[in-house]
Amino acid sequence: MNMPTFTRDDAVKLVLARLARLGQELSQPALAQADEQTRLFGEASPLDSIGLVTLMSDLEDDIHKACGVWVIIADEKAMSRLTSPFRRVGLLADHIVELVAAARA
Amino acid sequence: MPVVIITGSSRGLGRALAESLLAEGWTVHGFARSPQSLVHPHFQAHAVDVGSEASVQAAVAIVLAAGRIDLLINNAGAASMNALLLTPAATAEALMRVNYLGTLHCLQAVGKAMVRQRAGLVVNLTTVAVPLSLAGEAAYVASKAAVEALTKVAASELQSQGVRVNAVGLGPVDTDLTRAVGADKLHTLNQRIGRPQGTTLAEAVAFIAQEWRSPSAATGSIRYLSQLS
Repeated sequence: MNMPTFTRDDAVKLVLARLARLGQELSQPALAQADEQTRLFGEASPLDSIGLVTLMSDLEDDIHKACGVWVIIADEKAMSRLTSPFRRVGLLADHIVELVAAARA
Repeated sequence: MPVVIITGSSRGLGRALAESLLAEGWTVHGFARSPQSLVHPHFQAHAVDVGSEASVQAAVAIVLAAGRIDLLINNAGAASMNALLLTPAATAEALMRVNYLGTLHCLQAVGKAMVRQRAGLVVNLTTVAVPLSLAGEAAYVASKAAVEALTKVAASELQSQGVRVNAVGLGPVDTDLTRAVGADKLHTLNQRIGRPQGTTLAEAVAFIAQEWRSPSAATGSIRYLSQLS
Protein backbone atom coordinates (compact mmCIF):
# COMPACT_ATOMS: atom_id res chain seq x y z
CA MET A 1 0.00 0.00 0.00
CA ASN A 2 1.38 3.41 -0.94
CA MET A 3 1.85 5.81 1.96
CA PRO A 4 0.55 9.33 1.38
CA THR A 5 3.25 11.81 0.40
CA PHE A 6 4.81 13.62 3.32
CA THR A 7 5.51 17.14 2.09
CA ARG A 8 7.61 19.96 3.46
CA ASP A 9 4.40 21.77 4.40
CA ASP A 10 3.36 18.73 6.40
CA ALA A 11 6.71 18.79 8.21
CA VAL A 12 6.45 22.51 8.98
CA LYS A 13 2.93 22.03 10.36
CA LEU A 14 4.12 19.13 12.49
CA VAL A 15 6.97 21.16 14.00
CA LEU A 16 4.83 24.23 14.62
CA ALA A 17 2.04 22.19 16.22
CA ARG A 18 4.52 20.51 18.55
CA LEU A 19 6.15 23.84 19.41
CA ALA A 20 2.74 25.25 20.32
CA ARG A 21 2.04 22.30 22.63
CA LEU A 22 5.47 22.64 24.21
CA GLY A 23 4.83 26.34 24.65
CA GLN A 24 1.75 25.57 26.74
CA GLU A 25 3.63 23.01 28.79
CA LEU A 26 6.67 25.21 29.36
CA SER A 27 4.67 28.41 29.85
CA GLN A 28 6.40 29.91 26.80
CA PRO A 29 3.55 31.51 24.84
CA ALA A 30 6.05 32.78 22.25
CA LEU A 31 6.33 29.22 20.93
CA ALA A 32 2.71 29.36 19.76
CA GLN A 33 3.71 32.23 17.45
CA ALA A 34 6.63 30.35 15.87
CA ASP A 35 7.19 30.33 12.13
CA GLU A 36 9.77 28.94 9.72
CA GLN A 37 12.34 31.52 10.83
CA THR A 38 12.05 30.81 14.54
CA ARG A 39 15.38 29.90 16.10
CA LEU A 40 15.48 26.57 17.91
CA PHE A 41 18.68 27.04 19.87
CA GLY A 42 20.94 29.84 20.95
CA GLU A 43 20.18 33.09 22.73
CA ALA A 44 17.47 34.04 20.24
CA SER A 45 15.56 30.81 20.83
CA PRO A 46 12.70 30.50 23.30
CA LEU A 47 13.86 26.92 23.97
CA ASP A 48 16.59 25.94 26.38
CA SER A 49 18.72 22.85 25.70
CA ILE A 50 16.34 20.49 27.53
CA GLY A 51 13.43 22.04 25.66
CA LEU A 52 15.18 21.32 22.36
CA VAL A 53 15.80 17.70 23.36
CA THR A 54 12.17 17.34 24.38
CA LEU A 55 11.07 18.82 21.05
CA MET A 56 13.15 16.24 19.16
CA SER A 57 11.84 13.33 21.23
CA ASP A 58 8.24 14.44 20.85
CA LEU A 59 8.66 15.03 17.11
CA GLU A 60 10.01 11.52 16.55
CA ASP A 61 6.77 10.21 18.02
CA ASP A 62 4.70 12.69 15.97
CA ILE A 63 6.47 11.58 12.78
CA HIS A 64 5.80 7.94 13.59
CA LYS A 65 2.12 8.67 14.07
CA ALA A 66 1.93 10.73 10.88
CA CYS A 67 4.10 8.61 8.60
CA GLY A 68 4.37 5.16 10.16
CA VAL A 69 8.17 5.27 10.34
CA TRP A 70 10.56 5.83 13.21
CA VAL A 71 13.38 8.26 12.49
CA ILE A 72 16.21 9.60 14.62
CA ILE A 73 16.22 13.35 14.14
CA ALA A 74 19.59 14.01 15.78
CA ASP A 75 21.51 11.45 13.74
CA GLU A 76 25.24 11.66 13.04
CA LYS A 77 24.66 13.12 9.59
CA ALA A 78 22.61 15.95 11.02
CA MET A 79 25.07 16.65 13.81
CA SER A 80 27.99 16.97 11.37
CA ARG A 81 26.36 19.32 8.87
CA LEU A 82 27.89 22.75 8.42
CA THR A 83 24.44 24.32 8.63
CA SER A 84 22.68 22.73 11.56
CA PRO A 85 19.16 21.51 10.75
CA PHE A 86 18.25 22.48 14.29
CA ARG A 87 18.97 26.17 13.77
CA ARG A 88 15.52 27.18 12.53
CA VAL A 89 12.08 25.62 12.14
CA GLY A 90 12.31 25.66 8.34
CA LEU A 91 15.67 23.87 8.31
CA LEU A 92 14.34 21.26 10.73
CA ALA A 93 11.35 20.66 8.45
CA ASP A 94 13.71 20.12 5.49
CA HIS A 95 15.68 17.63 7.56
CA ILE A 96 12.55 15.75 8.63
CA VAL A 97 11.36 15.42 5.03
CA GLU A 98 14.72 13.91 4.10
CA LEU A 99 14.63 11.48 7.03
CA VAL A 100 11.11 10.31 6.22
CA ALA A 101 11.96 9.81 2.54
CA ALA A 102 15.06 7.80 3.48
CA ALA A 103 13.12 5.68 5.97
CA ARG A 104 10.47 4.90 3.38
CA ALA A 105 12.94 4.14 0.57
CA MET B 1 -0.31 -2.77 34.15
CA PRO B 2 3.13 -1.09 34.39
CA VAL B 3 5.77 -2.06 31.85
CA VAL B 4 9.44 -2.77 32.49
CA ILE B 5 12.41 -3.60 30.28
CA ILE B 6 15.12 -5.68 31.96
CA THR B 7 18.39 -6.29 30.15
CA GLY B 8 20.39 -9.44 30.76
CA SER B 9 17.19 -11.26 31.69
CA SER B 10 18.08 -14.76 30.55
CA ARG B 11 19.63 -15.85 33.85
CA GLY B 12 20.96 -14.86 37.25
CA LEU B 13 19.95 -11.51 38.69
CA GLY B 14 18.14 -10.38 35.53
CA ARG B 15 15.90 -13.42 35.53
CA ALA B 16 15.26 -13.11 39.25
CA LEU B 17 14.25 -9.47 38.78
CA ALA B 18 11.92 -10.50 35.94
CA GLU B 19 10.24 -13.15 38.09
CA SER B 20 9.87 -10.71 40.98
CA LEU B 21 8.31 -8.00 38.83
CA LEU B 22 5.97 -10.48 37.13
CA ALA B 23 4.79 -11.55 40.59
CA GLU B 24 4.14 -7.88 41.38
CA GLY B 25 1.91 -7.55 38.33
CA TRP B 26 4.25 -5.91 35.83
CA THR B 27 4.48 -6.63 32.14
CA VAL B 28 8.12 -7.59 31.60
CA HIS B 29 10.15 -7.32 28.40
CA GLY B 30 13.40 -9.22 28.72
CA PHE B 31 16.38 -8.24 26.56
CA ALA B 32 19.13 -10.85 26.23
CA ARG B 33 21.44 -12.34 23.64
CA SER B 34 20.89 -15.86 24.94
CA PRO B 35 17.63 -17.79 24.54
CA GLN B 36 15.25 -17.11 27.42
CA SER B 37 13.34 -19.96 29.04
CA LEU B 38 11.09 -17.89 31.29
CA VAL B 39 7.45 -18.54 30.41
CA HIS B 40 4.72 -16.26 31.71
CA PRO B 41 1.70 -14.67 30.05
CA HIS B 42 3.10 -11.19 30.76
CA PHE B 43 6.71 -11.89 29.82
CA GLN B 44 8.05 -11.19 26.34
CA ALA B 45 11.57 -12.22 25.39
CA HIS B 46 13.56 -10.15 22.89
CA ALA B 47 16.85 -11.24 21.30
CA VAL B 48 18.97 -8.14 21.83
CA ASP B 49 22.67 -7.33 21.86
CA VAL B 50 22.78 -4.27 24.10
CA GLY B 51 26.18 -3.38 22.67
CA SER B 52 24.48 -2.74 19.32
CA GLU B 53 22.59 0.52 19.07
CA ALA B 54 20.51 -0.80 16.13
CA SER B 55 19.58 -3.96 18.02
CA VAL B 56 18.44 -1.96 21.05
CA GLN B 57 16.48 0.57 18.98
CA ALA B 58 14.64 -2.17 17.09
CA ALA B 59 13.63 -3.96 20.28
CA VAL B 60 12.55 -0.78 22.05
CA ALA B 61 10.41 0.14 19.03
CA ILE B 62 8.63 -3.22 19.36
CA VAL B 63 7.97 -2.59 23.05
CA LEU B 64 6.71 0.91 22.36
CA ALA B 65 4.33 -0.33 19.69
CA ALA B 66 2.35 -1.86 22.55
CA GLY B 67 2.42 1.27 24.68
CA ARG B 68 4.56 2.94 27.32
CA ILE B 69 7.66 2.00 29.30
CA ASP B 70 7.59 2.80 33.01
CA LEU B 71 10.85 1.24 34.17
CA LEU B 72 14.17 0.30 32.58
CA ILE B 73 16.62 -1.88 34.50
CA ASN B 74 20.05 -1.89 32.89
CA ASN B 75 21.25 -5.15 34.36
CA ALA B 76 23.16 -6.71 31.45
CA GLY B 77 26.82 -6.76 32.27
CA ALA B 78 30.09 -8.52 31.78
CA ALA B 79 32.90 -8.97 34.30
CA SER B 80 36.53 -9.93 34.03
CA MET B 81 39.30 -10.14 36.59
CA ASN B 82 42.65 -9.11 35.22
CA ALA B 83 45.67 -7.37 36.64
CA LEU B 84 45.80 -3.92 35.07
CA LEU B 85 49.07 -4.50 33.24
CA LEU B 86 47.87 -7.84 31.89
CA THR B 87 44.42 -6.82 30.70
CA PRO B 88 44.04 -7.51 26.98
CA ALA B 89 42.74 -4.57 24.98
CA ALA B 90 39.98 -6.76 23.61
CA THR B 91 38.80 -7.53 27.14
CA ALA B 92 38.72 -3.86 28.08
CA GLU B 93 36.79 -3.05 24.90
CA ALA B 94 34.30 -5.84 25.49
CA LEU B 95 33.62 -4.69 29.05
CA MET B 96 33.13 -1.10 27.97
CA ARG B 97 30.86 -2.21 25.12
CA VAL B 98 28.50 -4.24 27.26
CA ASN B 99 28.60 -2.37 30.55
CA TYR B 100 28.86 1.25 29.43
CA LEU B 101 27.65 1.34 25.82
CA GLY B 102 24.92 -1.20 26.56
CA THR B 103 23.59 1.05 29.30
CA LEU B 104 23.96 4.14 27.12
CA HIS B 105 22.11 2.61 24.15
CA CYS B 106 19.18 1.47 26.30
CA LEU B 107 19.08 4.74 28.21
CA GLN B 108 18.99 6.74 24.97
CA ALA B 109 16.30 4.65 23.29
CA VAL B 110 14.06 4.27 26.34
CA GLY B 111 14.87 7.74 27.67
CA LYS B 112 13.34 9.33 24.59
CA ALA B 113 10.10 7.45 25.20
CA MET B 114 10.13 8.42 28.87
CA VAL B 115 10.69 12.08 28.00
CA ARG B 116 7.66 11.87 25.71
CA GLN B 117 5.71 10.35 28.59
CA ARG B 118 7.16 12.97 30.98
CA ALA B 119 7.63 10.08 33.40
CA GLY B 120 9.81 7.05 33.95
CA LEU B 121 12.47 5.42 36.10
CA VAL B 122 15.83 4.03 34.99
CA VAL B 123 17.88 1.83 37.30
CA ASN B 124 21.46 1.12 36.29
CA LEU B 125 23.45 -1.68 37.87
CA THR B 126 26.90 -0.87 39.16
CA THR B 127 29.22 -2.49 41.69
CA VAL B 128 30.82 -1.88 45.07
CA ALA B 129 34.11 -2.48 43.27
CA VAL B 130 33.94 1.17 42.10
CA PRO B 131 34.10 2.86 45.53
CA LEU B 132 36.53 0.17 46.68
CA SER B 133 38.81 0.78 43.66
CA LEU B 134 39.13 -2.98 43.68
CA ALA B 135 42.54 -4.24 42.59
CA GLY B 136 42.44 -6.82 39.82
CA GLU B 137 39.35 -5.40 38.16
CA ALA B 138 40.61 -2.19 36.57
CA ALA B 139 38.79 -2.52 33.26
CA TYR B 140 35.57 -3.71 34.90
CA VAL B 141 35.65 -0.98 37.53
CA ALA B 142 36.33 1.67 34.88
CA SER B 143 33.36 0.51 32.81
CA LYS B 144 31.06 0.64 35.84
CA ALA B 145 32.47 4.01 36.92
CA ALA B 146 31.41 5.21 33.49
CA VAL B 147 27.92 3.88 34.19
CA GLU B 148 27.84 5.83 37.47
CA ALA B 149 28.94 9.03 35.76
CA LEU B 150 26.35 8.46 33.04
CA THR B 151 23.69 7.97 35.72
CA LYS B 152 24.42 11.34 37.31
CA VAL B 153 24.50 13.26 34.05
CA ALA B 154 21.38 11.54 32.72
CA ALA B 155 19.55 12.33 35.96
CA SER B 156 20.53 15.95 35.65
CA GLU B 157 19.39 16.20 32.02
CA LEU B 158 16.11 14.30 32.34
CA GLN B 159 14.88 15.40 35.76
CA SER B 160 12.88 18.32 34.41
CA GLN B 161 10.97 15.93 32.14
CA GLY B 162 9.86 13.68 34.99
CA VAL B 163 12.43 10.94 34.33
CA ARG B 164 14.54 9.66 37.24
CA VAL B 165 17.83 7.83 36.76
CA ASN B 166 19.49 6.03 39.67
CA ALA B 167 22.15 3.36 40.12
CA VAL B 168 22.46 0.51 42.59
CA GLY B 169 25.74 -1.19 43.36
CA LEU B 170 26.06 -4.76 44.53
CA GLY B 171 28.87 -6.94 45.75
CA PRO B 172 29.17 -10.56 44.70
CA VAL B 173 25.70 -12.08 44.32
CA ASP B 174 25.27 -15.83 44.46
CA THR B 175 24.87 -16.60 40.72
CA ASP B 176 26.56 -18.81 38.11
CA LEU B 177 28.84 -15.86 37.35
CA THR B 178 30.29 -15.57 40.86
CA ARG B 179 30.43 -19.33 41.42
CA ALA B 180 33.26 -19.33 38.88
CA VAL B 181 35.29 -17.01 41.13
CA GLY B 182 37.49 -18.50 43.84
CA ALA B 183 35.85 -18.83 47.26
CA ASP B 184 38.77 -17.08 48.97
CA LYS B 185 38.45 -14.00 46.78
CA LEU B 186 34.69 -13.83 47.31
CA HIS B 187 35.08 -14.19 51.06
CA THR B 188 37.67 -11.41 51.21
CA LEU B 189 35.51 -9.05 49.18
CA ASN B 190 32.38 -9.86 51.18
CA GLN B 191 34.29 -9.12 54.37
CA ARG B 192 35.38 -5.76 53.00
CA ILE B 193 31.83 -4.69 52.23
CA GLY B 194 30.50 -5.85 55.58
CA ARG B 195 28.52 -8.78 54.23
CA PRO B 196 30.60 -11.77 55.31
CA GLN B 197 27.70 -14.09 54.61
CA GLY B 198 27.55 -12.89 50.99
CA THR B 199 24.45 -11.78 49.12
CA THR B 200 21.69 -14.05 47.91
CA LEU B 201 19.70 -13.39 44.77
CA ALA B 202 16.63 -12.63 46.88
CA GLU B 203 18.55 -10.05 48.92
CA ALA B 204 19.89 -8.42 45.76
CA VAL B 205 16.43 -8.25 44.19
CA ALA B 206 14.92 -6.78 47.37
CA PHE B 207 17.63 -4.10 47.50
CA ILE B 208 17.18 -3.11 43.86
CA ALA B 209 13.37 -3.21 44.15
CA GLN B 210 13.43 -0.42 46.74
CA GLU B 211 13.77 1.86 43.70
CA TRP B 212 10.17 1.18 42.60
CA ARG B 213 8.61 -0.28 45.74
CA SER B 214 9.57 2.73 47.86
CA PRO B 215 9.58 5.48 45.27
CA SER B 216 11.06 8.81 46.19
CA ALA B 217 11.95 11.91 44.26
CA ALA B 218 15.61 10.94 44.33
CA THR B 219 17.43 11.00 41.02
CA GLY B 220 21.11 10.69 40.26
CA SER B 221 21.57 8.63 43.40
CA ILE B 222 23.96 5.70 43.70
CA ARG B 223 23.13 3.20 46.48
CA TYR B 224 25.47 0.39 47.43
CA LEU B 225 24.44 -2.83 49.14
CA SER B 226 27.21 -2.73 51.68
CA GLN B 227 28.37 -0.94 54.78
CA LEU B 228 30.18 1.53 52.55
CA SER B 229 27.10 3.63 52.22
